[in-house]
Amino acid sequence: MTAEFLLNGLVNGIAVGSIYALIALGFALLYKSTKILNLAHGELVLLGGYVAIALTQVVPFPIAVVLTLGLAALLGFAIERVIMRPLFGQPLLSLIIVTLALGYIIRGTMVGIWGGSTRTFPAVLPAGLVYIAGIPMQTVGAFSAATAAVLLVVFWLFFRYSLAGIAMRAAANEQLTASTLGVSLRRVFAYAWAFASAAGAIGGILLGLWLGVNFALGAVGLKALAAGILGGLDSIPGAILGGLAIGVIETVVGGYIDTNVIYGLYGFKDIIAFVVILLVLLVRPYGLFGTEHIERL
Amino acid sequence: MSDRPAGDFKTTYVQDMAILDTRFYRVGFVCLLAGLALAPLWLGRFIFVLNAIGIFAIGACGLTLLTGFTGQISLGHAAFMAIGAYASALLTQGWRLPFILALPLATTITFVCGIVVGLPSLRIKGLYLAIATLAFQFLTEYAIIHATGGIGAIPVPPASIAGWTIRTERQFYYLLLVVWVTSAVFAANLVRSRIGLTLMAVRDRDYAAQVLGINLLFYKTLAFGLAASYAGIAGSLWAHYSRLLTTEQFTIGQSIDYVAMVVIGGLTSIWGPHLGATVVVLLSQGLKIITPMLVSIIPAFGKIATPLREIAFGVTLIGLLIWEPGGVAMLFKKLKRLLNLWPFAY
Repeated sequence: MTAEFLLNGLVNGIAVGSIYALIALGFALLYKSTKILNLAHGELVLLGGYVAIALTQVVPFPIAVVLTLGLAALLGFAIERVIMRPLFGQPLLSLIIVTLALGYIIRGTMVGIWGGSTRTFPAVLPAGLVYIAGIPMQTVGAFSAATAAVLLVVFWLFFRYSLAGIAMRAAANEQLTASTLGVSLRRVFAYAWAFASAAGAIGGILLGLWLGVNFALGAVGLKALAAGILGGLDSIPGAILGGLAIGVIETVVGGYIDTNVIYGLYGFKDIIAFVVILLVLLVRPYGLFGTEHIERL
Repeated sequence: MSDRPAGDFKTTYVQDMAILDTRFYRVGFVCLLAGLALAPLWLGRFIFVLNAIGIFAIGACGLTLLTGFTGQISLGHAAFMAIGAYASALLTQGWRLPFILALPLATTITFVCGIVVGLPSLRIKGLYLAIATLAFQFLTEYAIIHATGGIGAIPVPPASIAGWTIRTERQFYYLLLVVWVTSAVFAANLVRSRIGLTLMAVRDRDYAAQVLGINLLFYKTLAFGLAASYAGIAGSLWAHYSRLLTTEQFTIGQSIDYVAMVVIGGLTSIWGPHLGATVVVLLSQGLKIITPMLVSIIPAFGKIATPLREIAFGVTLIGLLIWEPGGVAMLFKKLKRLLNLWPFAY
């Protein structure tokens, strides 16, 4: 393992990881305020990518992005209103199943409309490579890393200073108390779904710019989940850093094992995220930056 | 409220603990068993549906014990089924053991695997445990693919018991029925035993249970082991039923189906897994028949015939959970209450 390989893996890992980070952000946004883990998030991400690609056929790229984000937010509101609100207060397992079922519906819709082939954007970003400290990096990678950084700051400021953000944190901390103190749980949940869905769409657009979208890429959502767990499910910086870490680990360690094929472990790159999940959960069950939940009788 | 008919009193503890506590239930259960035993007569060539229901109901029984009665969420139940299936295949194909030995051995192997997987549940809870089992699901798939090469396809010899080889659907059905009823009765008895009550205490509040002197390590891993061994039985039966194993039969989608069965059927009911497996299998088989019919009526559907099944499955699941979060078992309970009080509402 040379230094060059390591450095190369680091830079490319950050490029991949920033997409995981953006998707993990959606998990974190929703979990932070509603304590719901949306297992349909991977599908929402891909839907965002598909819709943006379909829209770029008609309108210029920036307008298509704005429209996609708007539509994603609307979809988030709709999901909250139609599906999640009647199930308010149901046990965890029912909610997990409902989000999984939602994933089935979205995936079915995507396959029905767009079929199984991979869709890509028309060239909207300058193609080629950016050189960071002499290491080549895809332009899309640099773009998504920058987007992740911007969104991190935006959401951090939002949760830290805005009234709505504080209300959402309060609801996450203790729903009943927050509700007693005048926080509208319905509004908080609706906003959380809209934000998460829009953040997912951003991830989907970047994924589309980078690899193109295909409904079979749903596993990206699960890897992003690994990132979320690593960083702590209710932490926004955790989601971003977790995403970058998973990206780097996958590229460096997975790439090393795959190129050198140790003990016939081919394809290890795809599974390493789950090994990381298991290790992190065993050492720190609440993630690197998550809030430790102290249980009292 | 009491659902017992007038004049039928429980005068002993034995009567109070009985699973089938009224004459209606006892007669109904005998009728159900008779109906199941004669199923090849009234189902004809559709007996394969009942075979699928039975196998998945056994697996779902384990998940009900784990999730419904012990409160531990598992998204890796299909992985245990895979371990049971491959273990059974290796024992009968590689070691030439008879099925009658391979089934309990495969069950034991999955029991041990379940205990190992259950160990982290002491530290990890709720959602995080669900994710850990999800990771276990993927790691198992990966391990089996690498151990067998390719998509993990291996042929399995048909089950044979005392020189009697089981080849047709109908023959397999009777083998399945014996295992199915035995394991269902075992689960029902377990739930009302000391172990079952302890598991429920762990579900309701694990630390409180610990304060009461319950050994969490023992009972949580035991629950995982039991759930895994039920999945192992289902896997072993499945191996000898399908006769060709691939890892594609035990993917994360299968795990999700298991959780769906348990939730649809009713989490805290011993009838839940059986009802849930029936609903899920009938739904997926029914959609397989209905979608081509729809396409033949409206040809424009041709392109979305396959995704339509997924969408319909998702919509049904969500609809059912919104309509009755307690599952089908709760629907039956409500129906019974309605009939008891009819024509008055109270």
